[in-house]
Formats: sequence, structure tokens, C-alpha cells
Amino acid sequence: MAAALCPCRAVLARRGGALRALCGSVRGLAAGPETHFGFQTVTEAERREKIYQVFESVAKKYDVMNDSMTLGIHRVWKDILVHKMNPSPGTLLLDVAGGTGDIAFRFINYVRSVRERQLQRKLKHHQNLSWQEISESYQEDKSKSLGDSQVVVCDINKEMLKVGKQKAQHLGYSEGLSWVLGNAEELPFDDDMFDVYTIAFGIRNVTRIDLALQEAYRVLKPGGRFLCLEFSHVSNPLLSRLYDLYSFQVIPVLGEVIAGDWKSYQYLVESIRRFPPQEELKAMIEDAGFFKVDYQNLNSGIVAIHSGFKL
Amino acid sequence: GQGQGSGSARLEPSLLRFLVCPLSKRPLRYEEATNELINEELGIAYPIIDGIPNMIPEAARTTRKKPPAEGSKQP
Repeated sequence: MAAALCPCRAVLARRGGALRALCGSVRGLAAGPETHFGFQTVTEAERREKIYQVFESVAKKYDVMNDSMTLGIHRVWKDILVHKMNPSPGTLLLDVAGGTGDIAFRFINYVRSVRERQLQRKLKHHQNLSWQEISESYQEDKSKSLGDSQVVVCDINKEMLKVGKQKAQHLGYSEGLSWVLGNAEELPFDDDMFDVYTIAFGIRNVTRIDLALQEAYRVLKPGGRFLCLEFSHVSNPLLSRLYDLYSFQVIPVLGEVIAGDWKSYQYLVESIRRFPPQEELKAMIEDAGFFKVDYQNLNSGIVAIHSGFKL
Repeated sequence: GQGQGSGSARLEPSLLRFLVCPLSKRPLRYEEATNELINEELGIAYPIIDGIPNMIPEAARTTRKKPPAEGSKQP
């Protein structure tokens, strides 16, 4: 991809040390601090650009690829996230890097079913009302099937949002759902706004994770909850080897066959390896000011849900 | 929500209560004529495309051509 910029970089990426620093400083004086794109070393500006291109390229096939790569298990992970959130009607959710809407739709479904159960319970207690009164109470409740719950989906990528919005239209989601093109590192929302902030399989692609966490803290109400669903590290050695094999041998091939895009999925696999493990991410979340930070491993650490509260 | 026609480029009213300028975190004004969210202080406008506000600072345009001069905005 950007190998032309520095021929020695590909070799140095593995060697590290003084040579890499020299190469980087000679090449990247204006472009900013160094970071990684998968296993390559790039400047922050380059990384943002490359990641944007990855998602621009995969947007239309994003959902199909998720199903293929994870054999549909990503759906379960996302279900677990929303169940853990356990939102009640009236909850305000900000879903960051939520592109194609998976978390947003689940949130809406969950809140709707909670609301329905609430209504049913209410009706059970109204046994001696007249039919007139019952139908009136039905009507006023029906107009708030979400009970004032709202989800704002924020993503930095136009193509991903486009896909998400189309999906929403197609599946019939409109009430309580909004879409914003924005940067997780620089959110266009006021302080103390949201009850819950989620970022599912997105934080890995953020260039300055510390800034994103600070912004998450800022926009949450006191008492608000931060929830992060992301690929993490598998400590079991046998499982780890199988996982590596699957990741490096199967996934890029799937990427090429299904989406015609080997490189993007190569990036995906590498970015997962580069991402901080559970304890390190926990520390970063605590650094942003969150309390009661903990994590829950899913599938032995292939994925983890980190949670924290703003007090 | 309200019956939104297809291809509506207009902003969802409920979003306005959440959005601020990502740079200054200050409130924005919705300009219906140009379908933009304006930060008067900094003199920048964020476009709304297909109903989705683009709140990336790099995408915003400046509303003032000359800093002091007249107060009128050019489309």
C-alpha cells in the first residue's frame, strides 16, 4: 500500500529500534507522530486515511463479511452487549462507530419489548375499567412505543452510515433513531448528554484511543455507562494458535472471495493483533476517568466487553 | 417519527438538541436556506447531506470571506 514511501519500512517494521526511528523522522517530519496500520508503521494522518479507505471499500459487504468471518457469532456478541446494557424506556444512547446500525437496531428492539411488557402489566391491573378507558390508555401509549428512548448513531465514514440508513429504512426503523457523521476523537455533542455510550468493533480503528475515551466520558451524563465491545486477546495457547491460523489463513481469503478485497481484511486481522489486551484497555478506560471498570470475556477472549461508569 | 418523504435532505429536529460544534462544543444554528448548521462565533458551516449532518471540521466551510468587513453571509 504505502510501501513506496519507505522501502526499508516493511523490513524495519519487524526489527524496530533505532533504524526505524531514523527512517521515520527523515520521512515524516510534517506528517505527525508515528503509529501503526496493522503491522505497518505509518503516521497518524496516513493511518486515518487508510482506515477510512478500508471502511469505504467494505461498507456494502460489511454485514455479509461479518457473518462469514464469525459464522454468525458476531450477532450473539452484539445481543449480549445490549442485554448487558439492559436499557429501560427513556434511555438515550450514543452509538459511536455504529455505521451499519447493528447495535442501534438491537437497542430499539430491546426497549420496544420492555415497553410492551410494561404496557401489558399495566393493563392487567386495569381489570375494572370500561372498554372506553382501556382503549384510550392504549392509544396514548401506542404513540410512544419506544417510551422516549433515542439512539444517535455516530460514524466517521459516509459509506458506512449510508448503508446503515438504508438498512434502517428497509427494516422499518425510524422512530428514535438519528445518524450523524462525526469523529469519535472530537464528538459534536454537548457535555453530560447521554445515558449510555457504546462502541462496538470500532475503538480498534480509532487512531487516538485516549481522546475517544475522554470524549466518551465528556458526553455521558453523571451515572452514565460506557460499553465497549471489541476483539481482544486469547490467553489459552492452543485456542490462540487455532485462532491465529484461522485469522491469517482464512479471513483474508474470505475477504477476497466475498468482498474482492484481501488487503482490507488483512488489515482487520493485523489490527486485532495490535490492539491492547483486556487489562491494558481497562487501564486506559480508567485513565479517562471512568469508575468500576471491568471486562467480560466472550469466547475465551476472542472478544471482550469493557464497561465503566461516569460518576 | 414524522412522515419523512424519500430523499429528504432536511435535518431531523430532535437531533438539534444534541448537536454542538465539535471544535468549540458551542451551540449551532440551523440555517434552513442552505441546509447547514452554523457556528456564528467561528464562522463555519457544517453541511447536511441526505439528512445526515456532517460534523467533521475538515468538511465545514467558512462562512466569512473577509474577517472584519460586512456582516452579510455569502451562499
